[in-house]
Amino acid sequence: MSDDTLAPGVTPVPAPPPSTVKPVNCPNCGGTVDIRVAGTTVSVICGHCGSTLDATSPELQVIARADKALRTPEIPLGTRGVLRGKTWEVVGYQERTDEEVRWAEYLLFNPYEGYAFLVDDGRRFNLGLLLDKLPTSPWGLGLQADGLSFSRFGDPYPVRTTFVVGEFYWRVAVGETVKETDYVTPGTMLACEDAQGERTWTRLDMLDWGEAETAFGAPGRRREYSHPAPHERSPFKSQLFEAWVIGLIAAVTLFIVSGMAGSQQRIAGTTTDAILDGPEKTLVIKDVVLPPGRSRVEIDADASGLDNSWVDLDYSLTDQKTQDSIDSYGTAEFYSGSDSDGPWSEGDQRPSVSLSSIPGGTYDLIVTLSAHKWNGAGSSAPATDASLMGGHGFADGGWGGTGAGGVTVPVTVTVDRGGIFGGNIVLGLIVILIWPIIVLFRHLGFEKRRKAVLSSGDDDD
Amino acid sequence: MLRASCPNCGAPIAFRSADLPVKVCDYCHSSVLRTGGNLAAMGKVADLPDDVSPLQLGVRGRVGARGFELIGRVRWRYADGAWNEWLAWFDDGSTGWLGESMGRYMLLRQVDPAHVQSMVVDRMRAGMDVPTGTQAMIENVEYWASDVKQVSCVASEGELPFNALGLSASSVDLMSADEHCASIQKAAGEDVEIYAGQYVSLADIAATGLRAFEGWPMPSYPA
Repeated sequence: MSDDTLAPGVTPVPAPPPSTVKPVNCPNCGGTVDIRVAGTTVSVICGHCGSTLDATSPELQVIARADKALRTPEIPLGTRGVLRGKTWEVVGYQERTDEEVRWAEYLLFNPYEGYAFLVDDGRRFNLGLLLDKLPTSPWGLGLQADGLSFSRFGDPYPVRTTFVVGEFYWRVAVGETVKETDYVTPGTMLACEDAQGERTWTRLDMLDWGEAETAFGAPGRRREYSHPAPHERSPFKSQLFEAWVIGLIAAVTLFIVSGMAGSQQRIAGTTTDAILDGPEKTLVIKDVVLPPGRSRVEIDADASGLDNSWVDLDYSLTDQKTQDSIDSYGTAEFYSGSDSDGPWSEGDQRPSVSLSSIPGGTYDLIVTLSAHKWNGAGSSAPATDASLMGGHGFADGGWGGTGAGGVTVPVTVTVDRGGIFGGNIVLGLIVILIWPIIVLFRHLGFEKRRKAVLSSGDDDD
Repeated sequence: MLRASCPNCGAPIAFRSADLPVKVCDYCHSSVLRTGGNLAAMGKVADLPDDVSPLQLGVRGRVGARGFELIGRVRWRYADGAWNEWLAWFDDGSTGWLGESMGRYMLLRQVDPAHVQSMVVDRMRAGMDVPTGTQAMIENVEYWASDVKQVSCVASEGELPFNALGLSASSVDLMSADEHCASIQKAAGEDVEIYAGQYVSLADIAATGLRAFEGWPMPSYPA
C-alpha cells in the first residue's frame, strides 16, 4: 500500500481497486500460492505440496514440509458465492472427525464482514459465525445466545483435524485436537470449542437444501433424513402441522356435508291396517325415486297402536327396471304387564331399517305385514307362561279375544333417503387421518434418529 | 492545528492536537515527535504490510450520534498473528481505538486504572503472569481474561498519542458475558493502560470511506 495519492498539488488518478488476492511462491515446492487475506492469515497450506507456511513471516517460513498429493475440496479454494445476501470467498478448508463421523469445514472470508465457516457434514451445509458475546445460562439450564434457547446435546467430545489446505487466521495443524460441546435448538447449533485454554463459541445455522450448493456451484444433494444432525429441524414438523390442519378441515367438512346429506328426505309413505292374527297383508309403495349415485334408504314403520302384539314386516325394495330387489325386515312389537317387580313394558313400536349404497333409479317397495297377538299378557311373567307354547288355549287372555279377524293395528311405513351411517363417518375420519398419523410417526421417527447418538453412543456412519 | 515540515524530509506535516504528539510522515515514514513547538524525527517506521483491511486513514464512523475519523494506526504483532489498532478521533476531540483482529472490530476507549479492580492489573504491575480466566471489574462490568500474550509494534502511520516505534508490551484480552471486551497492556517501565469497549461491525459504526477491493461489492451502511 502506498500513500502517494496523498501528494499535495497532484490530482490523484483513481487507481483500480487492489485485489485481495496476492500470489506468492511456495518456498518448498515453488508452486504459486494465492494469499487471500494478507495481514490476517497466519497459516497457509500450499495446495501443491501440502507444506504449512508461516504467513506471519515475510519469507513464508516452512513450518511443516510435505510432498504428498492433496485432495481437492468439493468447493475449490477461491470460489466466491453469495449466501444470505453476503458474498463469501472460500479461503481455507479442513476435514475434521470426532472418530466416528467426518465432516468438512470451509473458512469463508469477506473483507468487510470478516470470517465465517461453512460446515459440510456430507448431507447438509451449515453457516457458522463466531459469537461476539458469551452465551448466558440464566436458570442454570441450557444456554441463551442471540435470543435463542439452546439445550446441551450429549457430552463434550474430542474433534481432530485430519486434513487442511488453504489459509487460516490461526495456526492450524493436522492432528490438532480440540474439545467440543454442542448445544442445540431446532435449526441452530452452538458449538463450544476448547483448545489450549482458549474457548470459542460458534453459532451454526443449518442452511436449506441446495442453498450453499447453489451459492458455491457444488453439486446438489439428495434430500434424505436417515441420519439427521442434532440441530436439524424435523422436515415432518411443518408437514405435520399442514397435515393436521388439512385433516381437521376435511373432518369438519365431512361433518358438515354429512349433516347436510343427513337431513333426511321423506320420499314415500303409506298407512295400512294390520289385522292381528289375520292373514298377511301386502303393501306396495310405488315409484320410490333415488338420485343417481348411491343413497342410503331408511324404511321406518310406526305401529304405535300395538299392545302385547307384534307385526312382522318384510321389505323388498325392487328396481322397476332390473327387478333386482334388496330384501330386509323389521319387527314392531310392544308388550307390557306387571310382576313382582311392578309393571313392565318392552318392545319397539317404531322399528327402523337402513339400506346403504342403493343405486339410483325408480323402485317399488313391497311390504308384507303379518300382525300377531301375544297371548302371554296378564299378571304372570311372560317368560314362564306356558301359554306361549300352547298357542290357542287362552283366547280370553287379551282384548284380542273379541275376535281373531276383527282387531286391527294401524301401521305406517315411510321411506326416507339420505342420512349417513355413523359407520361411514368413522370410516371417513380414519381415511382423513391416515396422512396426519403417518406424518406424525415419520416426525417421531426423525426425532428418535436425531437423538439416537445420545442414547446409543454408536453411530452406524 | 499545527502545520510544520518533517525534520527528516521537509514534507509538510500537521498536528491537530497536543494530545497527539506523534505523526508518522506520509512520505519518509519518519516518526516525528512534537514537544511544544519542537519537532524531532525519532526514526523510520517499517512499511505497513499490504493487508486486506477495509479500513484506512480517513474512514469515518459513528457511535450513536458521535462521529469519528480514523487518523492513525499501530500494527501489533504477537507469536500467532498480527492486528491493527486504528486511532479514532471523535468530533468532540476525544480519542478511542478501533481494534481490527481476525476480521472483527472492537471499539475501545481508555479507562482510568482507578476505575478498575482486578488481579490482572496487580499481577501485571508486579510483572507476574496472568492466568486466563482471571476476573476483572472494569467500570462495573465483569470481565474474564481470555488471551494473554507478548506483543510488539511492527509499524504505524498517521497521528498517534505515543511513539509506537520499537514498542513492546504484555497484553491481556478480556471478554464479558455481553458484548463488552477489554484489553490491558503494560509496556516495560510504564504503568498499565486499560481499554474497554465492545465488539462492533462495520455496519454498527456505519463506516464510510472504506477501501474498495477488486471484485468485492462495497457495502453501504445507512447513516
